[in-house]
Amino acid sequence: MRLGLVIDLDVCVGCHACAVACKEWNASGTTGPLSDYDPYGAEPSGVWFNRIRHYEIGEYPNSKTINFPMSCMHCEDADCVTVCPTGASYKRAEDGIVLVDQNKCMGCNYCSWACPYGARELDRSSGTMKKCTLCIDRIYDQDLPVEERQPACVLTCPAHARMFGDLDDPGSAVSAAVRERGGYQLLPELGYNPTNHYLPPRKPKPIPSGESGHGVMAKVKKLVNRVVRR
Amino acid sequence: MHPAFSVIFFTVASGAGFGLFVLLYLADLFHLGGGLTADANALAGLLAICFVGGGLLSSTFHLANPKNAWRAFTRWRTSWLAREGVFAVAFFPFAVLYLVLAWLDVARDLRLVLGFFACLFAWATLFSTGMIYACLKTIRQWNTPLVPAAYMVLGHFSGAMILLVIALYSGAAFLPYEVLALALLISAAFIKAIYYFWVMRPYGSTINTATGFTRGKVRLLDTGHTHGTFLTREFGFQVRAGTRLLLKAGFFLFATGLPLTMLAQGQALQAQSAFAAMVCVLLGLVLERWLFFAEARHVVNLFHGAQRT
Amino acid sequence: MNAEVKVENHARQDIKYSTCYMCACRCGIKVTLEDGKVRFIQGNRDHPTNQGVLCAKGSAGIMKQYSAAKLAQPLIRKPGSERGEGVFEVIAWDQALDMLTERLQEIRATDPSKLAFFTGRDQMQALTGLWAQQFGTPNWSAHGGFCSVNMAVAGLYSVGFSFWEFGAPDWDYAKYFILWGVAEDHSSNPIKIGLEKLKRGGGKFVSVNPVRTGYSAIADEWIPIKPGMDGLFALSIVHVLLTRELFDYDFLARYTNATWLVIDRPGHASHGLFLRDEEGQPLIWDMERERFVNGLAADIAPAMFGEYVAPDGSKVKTVFTLTVERYLDERYAPANVAAACGVSAETIERLAVEMAHVAFKDAVELPIAWTDVWGRKHDKVVGRPVAMYAMRGISAHSNGFHACRAIHLIQMLLGALDGPGNFRARAPYPKPIPPHQLPENNLDIINAPNTPLSRPPLGFPTRPEDLVVDEFGNPLRIDKAYSWEAPFSAHGLMHMVITNATNHDPYAIDTLILFMANMAWNSSMNTKNIQDMLREKDPEEPGQYKIPFLVVVDAFHSEMVNFADLVLPDTTYLERHDCISLLDRPISEPDAAADAIRYPLVDTGRDVRPWQEVMVELASRLKFPAFTNKDGTRKFRNYPDFIINYQRSPGVGFLAGWRGKDGESSLYGEPNPKQWEKYIENQSFFAHHWPDGQKYMRYINRDYLEEAVRAGFVGKVEPIIMQIYSEPMQKFRLAGQGLYDGPQPKDPADRERLAKYFDPLPMWYEPLEQQRVDDEEYPFFALTQRPMFMYHSWDSQNVWLRQIMAQNYLYMNAARAASMGIKDYDWVWVESHNGKIRCQVKTMEGTQEDTVWTWNAIGKQKGTWGLDPDASEATKGFLLNHLISELLPEKQGERRITNSDPISGQAAWFDLKVKVYKAAAGESGSWPQFPQVRRLPADRASRPEVLRYDARGHEKN
Repeated sequence: MRLGLVIDLDVCVGCHACAVACKEWNASGTTGPLSDYDPYGAEPSGVWFNRIRHYEIGEYPNSKTINFPMSCMHCEDADCVTVCPTGASYKRAEDGIVLVDQNKCMGCNYCSWACPYGARELDRSSGTMKKCTLCIDRIYDQDLPVEERQPACVLTCPAHARMFGDLDDPGSAVSAAVRERGGYQLLPELGYNPTNHYLPPRKPKPIPSGESGHGVMAKVKKLVNRVVRR
Repeated sequence: MHPAFSVIFFTVASGAGFGLFVLLYLADLFHLGGGLTADANALAGLLAICFVGGGLLSSTFHLANPKNAWRAFTRWRTSWLAREGVFAVAFFPFAVLYLVLAWLDVARDLRLVLGFFACLFAWATLFSTGMIYACLKTIRQWNTPLVPAAYMVLGHFSGAMILLVIALYSGAAFLPYEVLALALLISAAFIKAIYYFWVMRPYGSTINTATGFTRGKVRLLDTGHTHGTFLTREFGFQVRAGTRLLLKAGFFLFATGLPLTMLAQGQALQAQSAFAAMVCVLLGLVLERWLFFAEARHVVNLFHGAQRT
Repeated sequence: MNAEVKVENHARQDIKYSTCYMCACRCGIKVTLEDGKVRFIQGNRDHPTNQGVLCAKGSAGIMKQYSAAKLAQPLIRKPGSERGEGVFEVIAWDQALDMLTERLQEIRATDPSKLAFFTGRDQMQALTGLWAQQFGTPNWSAHGGFCSVNMAVAGLYSVGFSFWEFGAPDWDYAKYFILWGVAEDHSSNPIKIGLEKLKRGGGKFVSVNPVRTGYSAIADEWIPIKPGMDGLFALSIVHVLLTRELFDYDFLARYTNATWLVIDRPGHASHGLFLRDEEGQPLIWDMERERFVNGLAADIAPAMFGEYVAPDGSKVKTVFTLTVERYLDERYAPANVAAACGVSAETIERLAVEMAHVAFKDAVELPIAWTDVWGRKHDKVVGRPVAMYAMRGISAHSNGFHACRAIHLIQMLLGALDGPGNFRARAPYPKPIPPHQLPENNLDIINAPNTPLSRPPLGFPTRPEDLVVDEFGNPLRIDKAYSWEAPFSAHGLMHMVITNATNHDPYAIDTLILFMANMAWNSSMNTKNIQDMLREKDPEEPGQYKIPFLVVVDAFHSEMVNFADLVLPDTTYLERHDCISLLDRPISEPDAAADAIRYPLVDTGRDVRPWQEVMVELASRLKFPAFTNKDGTRKFRNYPDFIINYQRSPGVGFLAGWRGKDGESSLYGEPNPKQWEKYIENQSFFAHHWPDGQKYMRYINRDYLEEAVRAGFVGKVEPIIMQIYSEPMQKFRLAGQGLYDGPQPKDPADRERLAKYFDPLPMWYEPLEQQRVDDEEYPFFALTQRPMFMYHSWDSQNVWLRQIMAQNYLYMNAARAASMGIKDYDWVWVESHNGKIRCQVKTMEGTQEDTVWTWNAIGKQKGTWGLDPDASEATKGFLLNHLISELLPEKQGERRITNSDPISGQAAWFDLKVKVYKAAAGESGSWPQFPQVRRLPADRASRPEVLRYDARGHEKN
């Protein structure tokens, strides 16, 4: 099993709902709290598992704005795990989820150096590295209704731009989406083989616009009454 | 990358310490310049131990949760950081026993065997330190065999400079030490020159490969947070091109240029000059190390708007 | 494997359902509580509005609940201190209410109009309006006057429902969707859910917006139009559709007034009015009978085109003949509007043809049987699957009413209204055009002491007689709504209240109550001067302010609170009873009439009271008839009691679900004493799903209309015929022209505005402010929008959301900025005819070249909203509001006139033009800066340097 997310850039409007739902769930979750620094002050910041960036592709007036959510990609070849000297970072064999054991982490930041996706953030208060858990405390919680056993970001996404599933299972919805929509991985050249995939914007099918009615102004005079009963 | 003082100090100091020890051992083994006096040998050994120990200690300063530092030895099978720790720790008993036997001047064969193992661990540690950086595919400036090579050479070079000073002060026949230092100086200049030349060549990941939009110009509109984050603080550090050039010049001037003028004096080299040269080299290495971090651009910066690393 | 994973201890948790209030979307929320602390807020899967999803604001509700800005106790301005100094003393509730009651009693017993009660983003206007009506003051409205009134009024005078709250696109069947000027924060979750559905189904999404962020980011086509040009652009599309004969003839003939006959007698009082029979029914020319017949009757064959002679000899033309004559004119040809709109002629032409193609060649047919209002049975519903939605970019211009009507005209031409795939109505709409409700304008009733108004303060005038003015034409309302200056101002003009009240124009008031409206900051135009007005003393009454008594009701420490004489602290949305009523701004969806409630989920822990509770209390103390029994005792124990027992008309009350004694009745029925319990049992909402036969074409759907009559949505079952041509508009135009047989304005400025802008057909004109400022000097249009994760000024107090944005920038087109030597993060001056500000620039591609814009309401006054004074919102954030005047630039010989749409009174804050230039070296930080607001006496909120929120801390420690 290889659990992960598929993110549809065609419909992501960049609303940050996923990021905040994630923060909300995980603040009180297994690796919570997630510290917020200077929360009322000059320069507020904090620990987040999920961040949304916004890009522009091309130039005005043909530019396109892309909203780009990023969290842990739960890489197949996760260097963050191999470089970890303490064994705090690990990848679960059964489902591929990459986690940090908060009881083992010494806060050396080395795993964050090995991560190309900026998925790991140090919590200065606990002195430990924190990251997306794929809401492991939701997806395996048998007491939650089945449809809610999903990561908080996926549950909340108003544009349904996030899908959760088993990328190893060719029959899963996520695998199908990747196949059909040309899903891709970020920074493939680095060889991390990230589990999370991104679906590129769709190409809209053209609408015939060559047709014309009568076309010419002069014809307007021909606008004639028809009997339409009411 | 943010050039943290603790890491700069650690790498320069422990590099010099390991280099010093290795050369000390070789000098012992080959009776370089007739060999050092027991006192000089002990002093050099003590210095090496201090440099290594101090460096290692300082490396723990940047840990956010040092109470778990002891766990850092557990993952030596995959982690160069763990290996560095394991090798460094393994180095100590051998090195200390070697020095004690040398001081007591007993059991020469055993001493040399112990010293040999200490050297192996020193080399392994130095190499591991280099590999900690070189193994990161996320930082192209580091992801090269030139990095461990430079760590090895620079460590030995700075060690050689210290050893030369000690040799001079102890009244030993210092010419072989001077030649050794000179050879290492040339190697250091050579390897860093290659490195700097290589690092200037842009290649690898770009904002296009990072986002997957490879056909048009991609520019960042917003990072999604107004103020800094862990990522911007840890990886956002940037050094201006001018500063970079200045630092490189500084490295070559202090670590190679100035010492070269002194080492070129051959037999006429005075202890004070050698000392000054050694200080220059260490200073040059600090500049080199600062730049090594500052110039390294983590790929995560692509997501924060950098066009390439 | 699962055994390793530690999951929650649900035994300690409580799940409760309520309704979100982080914005006006009102999504259903499922709240997990643990030991009384909020563990998790998620979307309610069963809720019609959000179907389980939730936006960033909704999820950040926790941090609103634990905000440091929450007011904790009633406060009174310290005697001897000046207003605006922010020196307060704590006062007990009883004392505060006694004082307020006494004051209100006095006003009500003498001159009720001296109370002005204006509300911001509240969602209970049915109650606040009733309260004002019962008090007897006409001076009430909510914030619609600066929000969306153009959309509401244009829709309700054209098609019977409207953009924003009273309709929604049919995402299930739409194949082509045009989003006009919708800022990111609008209709948060429903639009996001819908856009994904549309795109998944292969539909095309076109966004008309000068800025490409948010929704526009995912548009298949982006039209970077120049601000204020949407009406012209839309009318050019109309031109193309007419030129190519791409319109739905049958739809126009059956459901619009296209065939009604307009009298053509220039210079006469009947000119431009409909030809009507003796009963006042509009006439059409029946092609089969070859005579004039009642246009509302069944079995007629109306002529669409032509000129006829009326029995009295006057010439008459069909509405559609006038329409065609108007819009076929070359001035609307794409080539002739392209430059002004900033959209190429080819694009305009292509878009028109595309939407027509989808409407006519790609129609949707559903096998749904339904009956029309004339009793004829239909076996299917045909949909023209082109949907539209429009909002701020249309509404916040002084030509927005007409622009919105132009969009509705396109919809009518395409036959794309309330059918499958269209923009569809949400209950209680559609209503008659306009709704049959007139604003109170009887001077005797308004002036009568201790007497409620006979009808609500707000309504929909159809002729000059309906204006709320005295016999001299002077406004009777403090905001001058329904005066000649803004005859259709159905949401009031809240943005004028402080200015008018300070100027004692049209008269002085005594007490101003502001609820949840940040009028001293981001909700006012001209913020700095408004703050000065609030401080202004009355030279004629020494020691008294121009606005003598100011009551501010809010839950949070906003900039407005600082100016209060009396502060009444409100509760948060998780702490009180609320109802989101069909009498008000309901949560209905096209397929279901729906309403919702909130009820207390967490303790307040503060000495605060819900404002609705206080209103019921005040109403009882003041003995409003609707709140008082015959024997003089109070009728309602409290707000929850009021909500279930008050009936607006027999069987119709605030909540539509589980009515009747046994709770078996929906939409109407006797009060049910267990109604709150039923709502709570049912996840805090009620949805009445329309049967298939009542889902579409509801303007003439008999079964639907019969149900709507029972529910009190409409008065009687009658066809709701859409108005391409607006006769009420023409009546006001006649008044402006001096031809109207009734009241006429005296001021030439009013006459000119009426004659010019009350065109009965949609028109475009240059926005009013832009007619008076120099384009050369002020070359940029300046706009604002709010980010998706923040609502108004509310969310900078939210410690999660403010991390996402704690400073706003002025965004400019990158190439344009480069040509001016302006780079990212440069500080610039932005100057308008009204003032200047300093702010920091960011450049981007996705901004129209002549447009600059920023995120609204990020800038804060130092010391407010529970933030530290050095918060970047205060030091670097800025408001564009300083540049916007609430009045049009002065004109020689003319009285000062509101900077609003001349028809609806909508605040025209998108009409702003500015110049931008680099600040001098060393000039940095936002400007103007305001004095730091003092910490409130009751503020004991903790503000840790590191916040580590964890609702489940007890489990971990």
